[in-house]
Amino acid sequence: MRKLLRHETILAVLVVLALIVLASQSDKFFTLDNILNQGRLMTEVGLIAVIMTFVIVTGGIDLSVGSILGLVAILIGVFWKNMGLPLPMAIGLGLVVGTFAGFINGIIITRFRVPPLIATLGTLALYRGIAEGISEARSVRGYPDWFFVLGQGQVLGVPTQLWLFGIVAVIAAIVLGYTTWGRATYAIGSNETAARFSGLRVDWIKIAIYSSSGFAAALAAAIFVSRVSTTRSDMGAGVELDAITAVVLGGTSIFGGRGTIVGTVLGLILIQALKNGLSLAGVKSDGTIVLIGAVLILTILISNLFHRNGNR
Amino acid sequence: MLRTSLAVLAVLSLSTSLVQAQSAWTGGDDLPTSPLACDGTPATPVAKPYDGGVPTNAPDRNGKQITAVDVPKLIGIGYFDATSKGIAEAAAELGNMTATTDGPTEANIDDQITLIDNYVTKGVDGILFAANDPVAIAPVLKKALAAGINVVGYDANSEPDARQWFVNQAEFNGIAKTMIDSLAAEVGEDASFAIVTSTFTTPNQARWIAEMAAYAAACHPNLKWLETVEAQEDNILSFNQANTLINKHGDDLKGILGMTSVATPAAADAVTQAGKCGSIAVVGLATPNAMKPYVESDCVKSVVLWNPVDLGYAAAYVLRATADGTLKPGDTTVKAGKLGDLSVINGSEILLGAPFVFTKDNIGGFNF
Amino acid sequence: MTAEDAPPFRARRSGLARLFSAYGQEIVIACAILVLFAVVSTINPRFLGANNLNTIVSGNAYIAVAAIGMSMIIITGHIDVSVGALIGVLATISGTLAVSGYPIWFAWIAPVFVGMAVNAVVGVLVAYGRIPSIVVTLGMLSILRGGLVSVTGGAWINNLPPEYQLAQQRLFDIPAPVWFMILFTVLAALWMRHSAFGRSLYAIGGNAEAARAAGIPIERRTVQVFMIHGAIAGLATVLFATQLKIIQSTVPPNLELTIITASVIGGVSILGGTGTVIGSTLAAILFSTIGAAMIFINVSPYWLRAVIGLLILITVLVDMARRNREMRMARR
Repeated sequence: MRKLLRHETILAVLVVLALIVLASQSDKFFTLDNILNQGRLMTEVGLIAVIMTFVIVTGGIDLSVGSILGLVAILIGVFWKNMGLPLPMAIGLGLVVGTFAGFINGIIITRFRVPPLIATLGTLALYRGIAEGISEARSVRGYPDWFFVLGQGQVLGVPTQLWLFGIVAVIAAIVLGYTTWGRATYAIGSNETAARFSGLRVDWIKIAIYSSSGFAAALAAAIFVSRVSTTRSDMGAGVELDAITAVVLGGTSIFGGRGTIVGTVLGLILIQALKNGLSLAGVKSDGTIVLIGAVLILTILISNLFHRNGNR
Repeated sequence: MLRTSLAVLAVLSLSTSLVQAQSAWTGGDDLPTSPLACDGTPATPVAKPYDGGVPTNAPDRNGKQITAVDVPKLIGIGYFDATSKGIAEAAAELGNMTATTDGPTEANIDDQITLIDNYVTKGVDGILFAANDPVAIAPVLKKALAAGINVVGYDANSEPDARQWFVNQAEFNGIAKTMIDSLAAEVGEDASFAIVTSTFTTPNQARWIAEMAAYAAACHPNLKWLETVEAQEDNILSFNQANTLINKHGDDLKGILGMTSVATPAAADAVTQAGKCGSIAVVGLATPNAMKPYVESDCVKSVVLWNPVDLGYAAAYVLRATADGTLKPGDTTVKAGKLGDLSVINGSEILLGAPFVFTKDNIGGFNF
Repeated sequence: MTAEDAPPFRARRSGLARLFSAYGQEIVIACAILVLFAVVSTINPRFLGANNLNTIVSGNAYIAVAAIGMSMIIITGHIDVSVGALIGVLATISGTLAVSGYPIWFAWIAPVFVGMAVNAVVGVLVAYGRIPSIVVTLGMLSILRGGLVSVTGGAWINNLPPEYQLAQQRLFDIPAPVWFMILFTVLAALWMRHSAFGRSLYAIGGNAEAARAAGIPIERRTVQVFMIHGAIAGLATVLFATQLKIIQSTVPPNLELTIITASVIGGVSILGGTGTVIGSTLAAILFSTIGAAMIFINVSPYWLRAVIGLLILITVLVDMARRNREMRMARR
């Protein structure tokens, strides 16, 4: 366990350093308002990244999450406006469809033995395509006011969606770190054949993980729609890369078997702090993404120096 | 497995036919249209009360030094490079305003929102924006207004109450009329044409296509629209799509309308390389620099656009006037430096002018 | 499961079966292309017109060329998500040189060497820094994309000299990109199959520890394959940048995903060790065929992407079914 925490410790030090430097550049950075607001902005990617951690720990990947987000966003609008369902039911159905989309990923990966990268590359195109087809490029607007509580409101002074993210992250951390499910996830990622021989129901666990990934993307969709008050079929494009960046920055091995939720959350915080803090310090967005790219490479490099037999 | 995929295909094709039965021209939106009169009689302006927003407790900025940030849809394309030049030019002229341009590197709704949010936190006096989505951007702009920041849009509007003023480069129906009239002048009244656009979800393009459909139906009823293809903001894809249209329709295709500054030059190149200059007309929205080679070789006769440098320039002047309090709800004109007086329309929009048509005679005089 | 894994079993089979098991995915894709051509041309015979064939085959030539390098990377067990951004940067460099009075040949070859240099850095970080390639290239993607915008500020390159337009040349009425695509694919396929270097890439991707035990210098090979990939990206850039009279100084959207998809649909196993560059070239042609076919048979453009996604999935599932059946037969 101490060995596993190595990367997270380095990352935590980096995060603290980044926060200190950024706070010294702008007095607006380290204010409660700003911090809570940043939490609001990172929730969608955060939800997806937390579950993506499970996916990557099994040695898989899910590139279709951004498309699932777009599909569910469109469906929430269509169910509510065009089919006249009550909004809560539309959201519920959207969550079901998102989970089902993840379930299909799981089936393609386990039953047809398609490598996850290829399977989800295919569904990335398919789900986005279905979203475009259903929406006919129309957006649905005019949601009732209570719905905006989810994405724009707050509960006990904290943005609503941050509570949701906190709950999901804590549950995920407990499941991955302290339950037989978590141990099975690591076992699959370390050596799938061995996991199979030791009697784990590998296929079912994987299907459950990909379904959860779809669910997380769907939940993110509902929050995103509420935050921006409209639906478009191109929502969430590129979110998969943001989520994967946070997960690998958090020390999860892309080859499976290693990684923690704490690491992913630290990775998320570091990226969001850089985006926000650099902007407040007067760095433009093109400079910011250059720096984020460099930080990603350097962090893993430093971590590898401390931890010689690295990621391979 | 095969059976399932066949079933899915059947469902897809079924919904396909439904889709085609519904919409007039693919790619248009479903908002109401207001086509201009065929002979160009200006529409009688409908007096409309101010419908923009008002900043909360904005400090007195009259004549004081202000900092403004310009957040376009994306940075790294010629068009918004030109608008930011105009803004910088106006700021230099005014002397009491500093303006920086900072935008997302992709036309992404969420990145733009996050960026504006950061500038609200940072505390600027004014925000200039070109919205990737009119509704999605509204909450963060309202947040800016609530923080006492002056908010002015240009190029792509938001919901009216989320900003104070919007500098409109040219009205949608005006662009639509110019495009269709230019096309009809080149190909005649009985010809067929196709459209190359970026994506169907881009609001401005969707609006123009819807207005073009309405105007063509009223004023050029025999023009035949064949189809609309998407080509992202990708010039090679635009080139390939234009080629495929040429190959598919053969001699039936008389014109291609390009809806973006990426698609139009690529379509012109496709027509040039296919040796169809003169038999297929290309009309579209594009920046003059990108179109010079095709206009000078006589392959393209008319390029429709406003001057984006002027657009940025006007937006900066409007922001200054708003901050000074010299432009107030109810005003009918605003002074914009070298552009003179610009008129207020639709309650809270400032009209830059009519769309401009670049031809072989005048295109050499522009550099953006 | 590399092709070399089961020689005794393989030797007993007929020539045709051998061909099918060695090039199964290539054959599946070639058939898919033929079926599409047959179906669409019965609906609209113009689909088979010479111009349309040229458009289809040359339209994605630069993707096919870039996918050759990507296939080598994936065969070695790595991945590169920064290649789209790299092509954007290289195109801007090439175009800038062409309009600043440098000789045309220099503008053509500069991207090859710059691509090589950039990817040498990537290769060193992967091989000696022991950072997974997806991490390095995710970082590189941000750096290149942001850097490009910072440097150019979004100005497009126009006034390109006419003799720069290599991709517009034709030989025997076939566009130059097609010739380049065929040439590079054949050369790379032969080289991958018959050279010691090519075989060592399969060995590393198949089983890195075994390859090391067999004396293959894995780190050096990794750096070299990334450099070759960078050089090939430079070649792809030339085809991309010389197609039109202007160069857009932005990164083409989703280009890296298209290139990776071409490689993996072409049969390159993402787990490393198997696949050929012929498959990825065919897959790139398949994509442009699908794109053109959808327009020709009037599929609603709203549903275009869904149909493309579905066709990709069907190709993958058919191939997986074939492989799984083969594996079962081999076990028997």
